[in-house]
Amino acid sequence: MLNRQVAPKLTPIKSIDFSVPEMFEIHAGIPLYWKNNIANETAKIELHFNAGTTVETPILASLTAGLLITGTKAKSAIQIQHALDAVGAYYDVSVSQEQAIVTLYALNGYLKQAFDIFQEAFTAAIFPEKEVQEICNERQEKLKVQLQKVNVLAQRKIQQVLFEETPYAQFISQGDYANVKRADLIEFHHKHYLNGLSKVFLVGDFSEEVMLDIKTACADFTGKAFKPVNSSFSGKAHIDHQEKSDALQTAIRIGKIMFNKTHPDFITFSVLNTILGDYFGSRLMSNIREDKGYTYGIGSYMMENTHFGYFMIATEVAKEVREATIQEVKHEIEKLQTDLVPVEELELVKSYLLGQLLKAADGPYAMLDLFSGVELHGMDISFYNKYIQKVQEITAEEIREMARKHLDWKSLSIISVG
Amino acid sequence: MIHFERFKLDNGLTVIFHKEASTPMAVVNLLYDVGARDEKEEKTGFAHLFEHLMFGGSVNIPDFDGPLQAAGGESNAFTSNDITNYYDVLPAHNLDTALWLESDRMLSLAFTDKSLEVQRNVVIEEFKQRYLNQPYGDVWLELRPLAYTKHPYKWATIGKEIKHIEDAKMSDVKAFFKKHYHPSNCILCVIGNFELDYVKERIDHFFGTIPKAKKSARILPLEPMRDRFKSKTIVRNVPADAFYYAFKMPERKHPGYYFADLLSDIMGREKVSKMYVELIKKQKLVSEINAYITGSIDEGLFIITGKLNEGKSFVELDKEIWKIITHYTETLISKKELEQIKIKLRTARAFQDQGLLNRAMNLSFFELLGDANGINEEQEIYQTINAEDLRTFAKQLFLKKNGVLLKVKKKKNA
Repeated sequence: MLNRQVAPKLTPIKSIDFSVPEMFEIHAGIPLYWKNNIANETAKIELHFNAGTTVETPILASLTAGLLITGTKAKSAIQIQHALDAVGAYYDVSVSQEQAIVTLYALNGYLKQAFDIFQEAFTAAIFPEKEVQEICNERQEKLKVQLQKVNVLAQRKIQQVLFEETPYAQFISQGDYANVKRADLIEFHHKHYLNGLSKVFLVGDFSEEVMLDIKTACADFTGKAFKPVNSSFSGKAHIDHQEKSDALQTAIRIGKIMFNKTHPDFITFSVLNTILGDYFGSRLMSNIREDKGYTYGIGSYMMENTHFGYFMIATEVAKEVREATIQEVKHEIEKLQTDLVPVEELELVKSYLLGQLLKAADGPYAMLDLFSGVELHGMDISFYNKYIQKVQEITAEEIREMARKHLDWKSLSIISVG
Repeated sequence: MIHFERFKLDNGLTVIFHKEASTPMAVVNLLYDVGARDEKEEKTGFAHLFEHLMFGGSVNIPDFDGPLQAAGGESNAFTSNDITNYYDVLPAHNLDTALWLESDRMLSLAFTDKSLEVQRNVVIEEFKQRYLNQPYGDVWLELRPLAYTKHPYKWATIGKEIKHIEDAKMSDVKAFFKKHYHPSNCILCVIGNFELDYVKERIDHFFGTIPKAKKSARILPLEPMRDRFKSKTIVRNVPADAFYYAFKMPERKHPGYYFADLLSDIMGREKVSKMYVELIKKQKLVSEINAYITGSIDEGLFIITGKLNEGKSFVELDKEIWKIITHYTETLISKKELEQIKIKLRTARAFQDQGLLNRAMNLSFFELLGDANGINEEQEIYQTINAEDLRTFAKQLFLKKNGVLLKVKKKKNA
């Protein structure tokens, strides 16, 4: 007879099969990674360019990315889009602080054609004046909407505070659109795209010949391996509240400059981060959402760049509980600095993290993302085996030590808007 | 082709099992046949509030998420106007944990006052965060009652107003559970590297003893035929004037649903659609434009929406929108364009089917519509649609009296 009060026995995860893509060199230091043997027809190509927002200005990075395939001497934006549509391909560009990533998705039989269409349009791009105006108009309108949101304002503000005067603190402002010159976009394209490819990821079942053709074509626009702009931050903490009278909620961001995967404390800190705020049962969620009902959600996370990372707590709360929320966050952090995490909670978080890693390694696309996460830092896939081992061994004392070492309340910047 | 097995327990629970040998994970998806359309007009937002309460502990297990996380898994849910869908993704060897948790909360909830009070507050903050504290956030709270007068689609999933959530009582919660949360009102879908016999045995073990209850009939008012075009203007603190044309379209199981879906893809295509080229590129009337369908089970809405450029008027826009609509009701779409849309659909579908969770949700949803195998038939339906079908359909869809228009006007000196 089933006793519903007794939980089923759990089987822990001991090891995970990680696989690495095949590596080919386009030029010295510029790799192409290929993951094949895919069980379905899907395929994608990801081109990484040294064309992020920090390389010059966010406005140039953002607009150039948006205009990459909007016209050549021979073809209009519409003709190019029709050509991509005819092979059923989807095209996407995303710009981060350090990189711009162009992605093409297609069925494997069409990937090469989609790439050819892209390559022709991309290498001969002329940035037609009309297209420049159109995208400026569209983006400006979207920015107006964004800048009314308290979460966007708070996020911008804290990044400006943490990244101080460096290029990492730059954002697009409304006025930027009025000063855009076509010639600047052409120059940006030339410098950071036509000579800016830093790596390529391929997924899909197609012939080696197709892969080699893509590799050869990419050789024409490779740049150097990515080198971030010099950035050093004082780490000084700032506290600021910005009143927004018509807002119904207040957005809060609490954060500081932190490290990335290359740091010896990274794995232990990420376990601490999970306990504090990075899963549904976290301390912050349990207290501020599930006990107090102050918010729809609160979380903490770690972001990584090439040379550094940052740690952030983010939430939107009822206006009248802003101070109370900040006090509860402080209380939760201090508790982690004084009390040891109970065994049961620590075991739960360990199992949760390993389960999430198993999921993150499931399927070729997920596996490639996981690989990309270590490749970025010049590390190899063995990092994840170390991660499994470290997570299994970690003690409550180490967690407390980590909280004392890196989460001193006075070291955290606190920004609120609303 | 997605292969699956279907079986039913004696208590009425329908189970779909899809074997996927390549994954170390398992997905457990439970679709409950209850959504905001099943609420009373004076107690809206209930299906969604209830979804929150389902994570507040069940009759034998005080905490839902903890044991699942300890098993390396995670869980979430969503509520729509039609359904409430719960899912768990966890390492396959811990499948039992998900079945144990889900079966206990199907059996009965803990119903604590604390959980109700906290989740009421959480949902009120969600209401503010997503619907009130965002530019254009309340559009659907306004558009629904304009487009529907009788059918319960006239309120949004989050509810008509915050007050309905504040007023929710424990007795309401219990009655709601009794009516909607039982085996014959649920479709359970399991995906993972398992054998059918094993899955049958485990599901029977955990769900087999849950008492049978009668599935209640759903009798909803039909939305009456409209006799005239309606429009409404609201003034808000937004950066640009926005417009939402909404045309009544056929229900999910009607062939017209597929025509509407394809037509919205064609009309809303970025960069190349007639609407995009005319209104954005040539006339510089709008800064963005889109077309899509709501995808609901009962009669849905075909939406054309966008934002006006500074200095342009709703009157100019209206003239141009109807010109474009007339183009689609009069002219046949070219073979080339239709082929492009169809191959794009194939690509999108192949990528969607990659995800286990997506497959589980789709199998469950098609089973609710009548047969999980719909997942394998849908592409075929799209591929056989021709230009004549679309024109004939557009003529019925775009009858002026069939539409409503919501205008969001920018507040002066905002």
